[in-house]
Amino acid sequence: MNRTRILLGTAALAVAVGLWFAFTSPVDRLQGEFSRIVHIHAPFLWVAFLAFGVTALASIMWLVKKTPRWDRLGEASAELGVVFTVTGLFTGMVWGQAVWGRAWDWGDARLATTAVMLFVYLGYLALRKATPDPEMRARRSAILGTIAVVQVPLVYFSVYLFRTLHQTPSIRPDGASMPREMLIALLVNFLAITYLYVTLLFARLDVARAEARVSVQPDLAGDAVKPPRLTEVEDV
Amino acid sequence: MSDLLIVIGTFALSYAVVLGYAARLHLRRRRVKD
Repeated sequence: MNRTRILLGTAALAVAVGLWFAFTSPVDRLQGEFSRIVHIHAPFLWVAFLAFGVTALASIMWLVKKTPRWDRLGEASAELGVVFTVTGLFTGMVWGQAVWGRAWDWGDARLATTAVMLFVYLGYLALRKATPDPEMRARRSAILGTIAVVQVPLVYFSVYLFRTLHQTPSIRPDGASMPREMLIALLVNFLAITYLYVTLLFARLDVARAEARVSVQPDLAGDAVKPPRLTEVEDV
Repeated sequence: MSDLLIVIGTFALSYAVVLGYAARLHLRRRRVKD
């Protein structure tokens, strides 16, 4: 059994433990069962922030070191950040529909900034697809990956900067606005979903490394696989 | 009861997206190996 399989197996176990905590913890008196959504909504978006932070760090490291491994890390983490932003937004929309009476509101600062962050990172992935040259691709995405991360604090602090629909965080440095059992369940889910992110990041890097090896293989074969040059064809 | 079903469905759909991504990675890895 390889490392990735062990990691994915333990991550599945961690998620199962997180789910058990999420569905056995007490619920909010006003929101009822819908308050359980906090146990995936907040961790998914925390992991998205973490993923985009890792992309920024990898982008800076590529600009300094110019080694492909940093480029691969940046791409892998951005891809995961997009997956977790989409799921975070989806869970938030269901929760919003139940509690606010609407799934989406462009006038809300947190929702709008999160949507913009998602579009920018989709753009990051599109930019990579649109640039065939590996060196150019790495350079362009490293620059965008370094700049785009400014959205993470903007999304986080948007609830303080603009008091609109979305609430401020439930867990703050001065304490948490929820009962202890709920807080423990939330922290277990934070740990489980962060571990899931790390696991998927390793799996994604494995794929990227394998694909990179395959893409350089024709060169290893040397002249044997080169097509005939145009001048040679004309000589015939 | 219906509220709980909606919540369970939300959890299931969210994890299905993540699981789908993991499955896609697995398929890519296998294609590269072949």
